[in-house]
Amino acid sequence: MRTRHFHLLGLGCLIFTACTKPPAVSREDHPLPDGIDTARVEPGRRGGVFIQSVPGEPSTFNPLVSEDATSGGFIGLFLDSLTRYNAVTQEVEPGLATRWDIGADNKTFTFHLRSGVRWSDGNPFSADDVLFTFQAIYDSRYPNRSAFDLSVDGKPFRVEKVDELTVRITTPEIFAPFLEYVGGVGILPKHRLGPAFQDGTLQKAWNVSVAQHQPDTLVGTGAFRLRSYQPAERIVFEANPHYWRADSAGVRLPYVDFLVTKLVKDINASTLAFATGQTDAEGLSPDNVAWIERFAKRYEFLVHNRGPSPNSGFVWFNQNPGQDASGKPFVQPHKLTWFTDRRFRQAISHGIDREGIVKGVLFGRGQPLWGPETPANKKWYNPNVTQYPYNPARARALLAEAGFRLGEDGKLRDAKGNLVEFTLNSNQENQLRVNMATVFKENMRDLGITVNLAFLDFGTFVGKIQDSFDYEAGLLGLTGGGDPAGGMSVFSSQGRLHQWYPNQKTPATPWEARIDELMSLQLRTLDYATRRKYFDEVQKIMSDETPYIYLVTANAYVGLKDRWKNIKIPPLGSLVWNLDELWTVFTP
Amino acid sequence: MGADLIQSLLRRPAGLVSAILLLLLYGAALFAPFLAPTVPSAQDLQRTYHPPTALVWQDGRLCVRLYRLVDPSTATYQPIAGQATPLRWFSEGPAYRLFGLIPAKTHLFTVEAPAVVYLLGSDATGRDVFTRLLYGAGISLGIGLVGVFLTSLLGLTIGGLAGYLGGWADSLAMRLTEFLMAVPGLYLLLALRAALSSRFPSDATFLLIVVILSALGWAGTARVVRGLVLSLRERPFILAANILGQRPTVILFRHLLPNTFSYLVVAATLSVPGYILGEAALSFLGLGIQEPSSSWGLMLGQAQDIKIFMLNFWWLLTPGAAIILTVIAFNLLGDALRDAVDPRFRLPGR
Repeated sequence: MRTRHFHLLGLGCLIFTACTKPPAVSREDHPLPDGIDTARVEPGRRGGVFIQSVPGEPSTFNPLVSEDATSGGFIGLFLDSLTRYNAVTQEVEPGLATRWDIGADNKTFTFHLRSGVRWSDGNPFSADDVLFTFQAIYDSRYPNRSAFDLSVDGKPFRVEKVDELTVRITTPEIFAPFLEYVGGVGILPKHRLGPAFQDGTLQKAWNVSVAQHQPDTLVGTGAFRLRSYQPAERIVFEANPHYWRADSAGVRLPYVDFLVTKLVKDINASTLAFATGQTDAEGLSPDNVAWIERFAKRYEFLVHNRGPSPNSGFVWFNQNPGQDASGKPFVQPHKLTWFTDRRFRQAISHGIDREGIVKGVLFGRGQPLWGPETPANKKWYNPNVTQYPYNPARARALLAEAGFRLGEDGKLRDAKGNLVEFTLNSNQENQLRVNMATVFKENMRDLGITVNLAFLDFGTFVGKIQDSFDYEAGLLGLTGGGDPAGGMSVFSSQGRLHQWYPNQKTPATPWEARIDELMSLQLRTLDYATRRKYFDEVQKIMSDETPYIYLVTANAYVGLKDRWKNIKIPPLGSLVWNLDELWTVFTP
Repeated sequence: MGADLIQSLLRRPAGLVSAILLLLLYGAALFAPFLAPTVPSAQDLQRTYHPPTALVWQDGRLCVRLYRLVDPSTATYQPIAGQATPLRWFSEGPAYRLFGLIPAKTHLFTVEAPAVVYLLGSDATGRDVFTRLLYGAGISLGIGLVGVFLTSLLGLTIGGLAGYLGGWADSLAMRLTEFLMAVPGLYLLLALRAALSSRFPSDATFLLIVVILSALGWAGTARVVRGLVLSLRERPFILAANILGQRPTVILFRHLLPNTFSYLVVAATLSVPGYILGEAALSFLGLGIQEPSSSWGLMLGQAQDIKIFMLNFWWLLTPGAAIILTVIAFNLLGDALRDAVDPRFRLPGR
């Protein structure tokens, strides 16, 4: 039956899905380590293949080189960290370290490593590997992103070995997101990468060519190890027979034998692969849910609503008062006056029909957004921010208060008689964004404001935002979620992603100064309640001052085949974050 | 020559039909603001992906059925049984300027708000596809005409001069055309678009695209014109003109070039589809006409989302049908013109 549908749809059906029984898989059997972690899940059965698809291609398997989410996702499958992030509770859980003590100064963390853990090639894991990892990250020969994240004001952490299974890490200042950030550092095998580190070739290690020809040299402590990689085709991971987790019945995890990732051309192809039953899990965009659900019965899957996504869309005005090399201001002075007027921005916000965007463009699957965090970030979201419901009358009142006049011709003019008109830039690749921009233009016309739309390719647009600053208004999105520390570059007035006026030497406004202060305060305490209080205020100020005029957040959907057990769908991040715990009653 | 041409064209049914079709299309494009019930930017977020509204005869008048949104999550609409609202002919609607000059408010037909008439359904933000198709025709068809005019002008001048002057001018012109023809067209198009886009404001994209397409297209015309001029130059009537002592410019513009017109008319007709398709390709790739303007290529590009197919929003593909029709019509007309103009290609029995 199944194969017939594939032909009907004219899609090349692939291996693994058809009705034939796969050969039995035998796994190496190694004794469980004494420091085994027992997963608190319903014990399952071994076997099965989990299939997913990913648009694009990994650029590397080396965490010191990786910059993109696709590569990072694959690296996370075979490298584990000292701590483990529970995506459902948003809490930090034991990983390669079973427990940790925090010193009285709140700067010293002593990690007690799990004993008996072995690398996927059978070599023992120890404190030396942790030391080696941090040594590699901080080495100036190997510039990488982690080095920046794992330092305070440019000063690195001090990492010391206490004994074979104990590591002490000291931060120069109190550093709030420490545990979460350390949890993101995949521990590297010294016995494998030590020589490359010595002779300066560490950045060439574990590149895509190595992954293709010597997959067994990519050694980790994660639930899986790389078995094969065929570019533009598929990546196959197999269960790591030395993995450090087991279920309550003493069966070593992961349950699945193989994890197959098909590499497809684009997101459309990935969605289609899931909708036609070729893959086991897929994140779905709200406008596609309706038709995909029609295939749910035939291909035995279910579409779960994860609730609001962590992605926010917003419009902002360029408030940069600077000039380019020739002395020409980035923004015309009279326009800068509008853009820096809070009432103008609030009026714009009141003039946007967000409910309409949700209903029309997102098929009703989303909600209006008022602040920098979406409700998906349960741990940090502040629901009590200022809201700007659709209210053209209120918008007109605010504009009148700010000195704008509506002329006989229905066009708005400022106090000096300048016509209110600006150009909104966005990137053309994202059709949802293009639709939002056209709605915005129409909404603004109701207020007498002329908006010209200019769609650029993403690179050109980012160049305008970050280098040349020669634009008036922009529409983009950011993916939020996670710790407030991750938003430093957005909220802090010196930040590069502080898009309305980046890289300020001193804060331009009192409220930006206050946000700077709050952001550095929240970074210097480990107490969640205190941090939460500071970050709530940041969100409130952002909504009051509306440097970003937030639009909507779409709901996130995930499709998953019915046959998988122990599914726990988190509001944020990867849908199958607990891949090691999944099991199935049927083999494929 | 003109009357003969039209007469012999009228005798060919395929040519006649396509000529009428093209006249209708260009007429529709010219009078788009009047024919369309609304303006292309008018959105209705409560009625996105609305199917085409059915027309019914009720109470002796042509009426539009009313619809109800049954399921917003799949954009499913259902006609409300027995309910319809009459079309109002020559009624007032959104203001516009006919030919970009004459302010007017009268539309061929509208319906009373809050009802809407979507002859070809609505798009992702509830804009009328029929209206956008009409306005888009102005751009898509206009690009063909303007482009062909520019190309013919360039091709005629450069080819004519090259053929008549010969020598170094000929070599220079022909090497240039060879260079242009050797460069892969689409890549050059994309490169030019990227290089020039920052110099043009977004509403001048239309002009930019025409200029790019013409800058690439004149080489072929120039080469053929040169060939024609080269052979005409040796004909007795030119020799006679030479002997009579006429000036070279007079010979070129009075005697040589008019004799290439018949070729030009046919070539131009046959190359119009190239421009229409070129614009469609650019807009489809997101490099051509941009929102909120409309063109057939842009509309088609926006319909390439899988959900359009899976949820069967077929009316969003109508710009594709319009492009196909236009291209076929131009090709048939071009064939008929060639038969009419060039007796040597005429088949026996005609």
